[in-house]
Amino acid sequence: MAKMHAHRLLYEKTGRAIYISHLDTMAQFQRAFLRAGLEIWQTEGYNCHAYVSIALPLSLGFSSRCEILEFDLVSQVSLEEVPALLNRTLPEGLRVLSCYRAERPFKQIRTLDWSITLDYDNGILEGVEEGFRAFLAPEHLIVRKPSKKSKKGYTELDLIPMVHRWSMEPVGEGQLSLSCNLAAQEPSLNPQLLMETFAARYPALAPDFARYRREEVFQENGEIFR
Amino acid sequence: MDARLERILLRVQKPARYTGGEYNAVIKDKAQVDLRFAFCFPDTYEIGMSNLGVRILYGIMNGMDGVWCERCFAPWGDMEAEMRKAGLPLWALESGDAIRDFDMIGFSLGYEMAYTNVLNMLDLAGVPLHTWERGDDDPIVMAGGTCAYNGEPLADFIDLFSLGEGEDVTVEMLELYREVRRTGWSRREFLRRAAQVPGLYVSSLYDITYHEDGTLASITPQEGAPAVVTKRIVQDLDTAYYPVKTIIPSTEIVHDRVMLEVFRGCIRGCRFCQAGYCYRPVRPKSPEVLIEQGIASCKDSGYQEMTLSSLSTSDYRPLAELCDGLLDYCEPRNINLSVPSLRADNFSTALEQRLQKARKSSFTFAPEAGTQRLRDTINKNVREEDLLRSCRTVFEGGGNAVKLYFMLGLPTETDEDVVGIADLAQKVYMVWKQYGSNRARGVRITVSTAFFVPKPFTPFQWEAQISMEEYRRRVALLRRSITNKSIIYNWHDPDLSYIEAVLARGDRRLGKALEAVWRKGGRLDAWSEYFSFERWMDAFREAGVDPDFYACRERPWEELLPWSMISVGVRQSYLWREREQAYRSTITPDCRKQCTGCGADRLLCDRKCDALYPISARERHATAGEV
Repeated sequence: MAKMHAHRLLYEKTGRAIYISHLDTMAQFQRAFLRAGLEIWQTEGYNCHAYVSIALPLSLGFSSRCEILEFDLVSQVSLEEVPALLNRTLPEGLRVLSCYRAERPFKQIRTLDWSITLDYDNGILEGVEEGFRAFLAPEHLIVRKPSKKSKKGYTELDLIPMVHRWSMEPVGEGQLSLSCNLAAQEPSLNPQLLMETFAARYPALAPDFARYRREEVFQENGEIFR
Repeated sequence: MDARLERILLRVQKPARYTGGEYNAVIKDKAQVDLRFAFCFPDTYEIGMSNLGVRILYGIMNGMDGVWCERCFAPWGDMEAEMRKAGLPLWALESGDAIRDFDMIGFSLGYEMAYTNVLNMLDLAGVPLHTWERGDDDPIVMAGGTCAYNGEPLADFIDLFSLGEGEDVTVEMLELYREVRRTGWSRREFLRRAAQVPGLYVSSLYDITYHEDGTLASITPQEGAPAVVTKRIVQDLDTAYYPVKTIIPSTEIVHDRVMLEVFRGCIRGCRFCQAGYCYRPVRPKSPEVLIEQGIASCKDSGYQEMTLSSLSTSDYRPLAELCDGLLDYCEPRNINLSVPSLRADNFSTALEQRLQKARKSSFTFAPEAGTQRLRDTINKNVREEDLLRSCRTVFEGGGNAVKLYFMLGLPTETDEDVVGIADLAQKVYMVWKQYGSNRARGVRITVSTAFFVPKPFTPFQWEAQISMEEYRRRVALLRRSITNKSIIYNWHDPDLSYIEAVLARGDRRLGKALEAVWRKGGRLDAWSEYFSFERWMDAFREAGVDPDFYACRERPWEELLPWSMISVGVRQSYLWREREQAYRSTITPDCRKQCTGCGADRLLCDRKCDALYPISARERHATAGEV
């Protein structure tokens, strides 16, 4: 399970590719390696397949500039050549930025920087920033999150310790940009849950639409994780 | 991306169906494009992208300078509701542009139950629904595919039908479009000239009159349109375009693998099978070309699965050579090669073992009828002993599940034939008892029956479909006859097959009924969650159409059939003779044993029908009868 694989890709998922699901994204990479003529380690057993693993699943419809995918390269090829080879064979919106040796396990990942664009169709409302501050001011903010594992069908999460920092600024006509750093695993905070909770508690300040983008991934000491 | 679409996508199921951007999708510079074609598939993305024909024509059109062919699929109900709410017109996946601004819109018609989707997609696109409402600025709406052989029910909505294989005629049609545009565009002029292109049928140029009893009285071509339009074929599959470089979807589709078409046509002549007659003559591809294209396709796609496709793959002569060549490449790379459409009468263990490293436990056979007499009637030349021998092979090899497919309602079927299905399944069970290698695991024999739908261009095109009540009675009889707990019986509901029978042999008067059913909400009718029998019956009543007239009426030889202006190469007299043979329960040998002169070989210019390959030209003429 926790075996670390030798190589990693840092890639972006933007544009039309944000609608490709987590499993389909893995399938696209498995095929892209084969299309590029790059041999990667295949699982053994009944149903052999090229092995790839993505550090943190990304929700459908979210974009990202910092996705990490793990695999074992078998072909004798210099790692610098891999991004160009793969980028010729990937669908629009999936773009490999770098390929490198894995140094630390995924479980060291702690937080994610998110950029959330909030659309206000009739112009930015007054007091969204203040409202958001008030929203996160209490010592605890317990929300229910649907869960298949729990008998009750949900688990309870306290949002407050999972929102590490945030800031908000207008970015254009009727748009606010919310930048925040959120817990990434065990437990993780999906920014959509954060925004849905905000919208439920402050319906007058709720945006008409929100776009989510992962900007950077960090480990314990606040250093960028690769 | 359209801002409205961006918001909608996250509210619908499987948004990747609607976004495009896949690997190998063709993006062209609009400044370099003078002809835009929207290739519409009237079903979901997952079904449409699994169609090899769509991929071939997409590649051919995009191979033409200045032509940009883009794709468009039927939206699922949730997406349609969102599109209508947001006022978002149907768009093409590649550019995201509304298809109503394209020069041509082409539908692939593979199944009658997709007809309501054609109307719905035209409406969603904002294109006038009826041919006569379209002006010079509206797109030309054309259609091809198997159902185009009798496209008459869609004559109100489709300007132009392309008959047969589209590889060559599509290019000719697009060239003609450009030519007419150069000399001063007029929709009418284009259609008038298109009717002169072999293989293109312009329904509005044919006047139809009717007798008082509702049957056709005359078909009169206008403005120089030909009396008979003959389908087009590709002469040489080895040199024909094959899409080695083809779109690899970013979401899972139904046939998510490399598809290699090994031959076209079929030597068998099963009398119920439309494809078996319409796709004649038999033309193979050479194993060398197939191996090369198969390997190149795996490399370009990254697929680890490949399948051979044809109507009856075990009839491909160099099958062993082809499989060997492909497996040499596939095996070391963990690419799985599958070979469907093998027949129960020549199912070979050696071949099956080479193909399936991971042993399958379930096998499917289609005897189609329960008794030898009826199998002879439909010319499904599978003998009981062949089937039982194949099942023995399966059971000895450790298999413990066999699926058996049948049809109920075949011409001349009696209760004895129905009960014969139960008897045959029981015999398969007895084979398992005797030869099953692992009897402790038990066995599962699944019997499925479909409701026979007579189709145009088959020997049964003159037949009445039995009534739904009679079908249900036969289902009940078969249910009672199956007493063994290891035999599971599944049957199809008859209502969808009844509607299919109406549409399959319908004429252009059905257009009003199609429109009525669509206006009442009919769409995605091939999907049980959308199909409503009552809606169809209401629509028939409203349109003043008697569905039994089309489904349940036997036609005499003299009757002018609605598709009489179309030829698939096989003579009508041949089909009638085959029908008479059926009533005598006399089999017609497959085309390799003896050419029986169907007429389709006349479509070949300078080569022989493959079915005749081992026979010399002299012998061929000696046995060909009518040829």
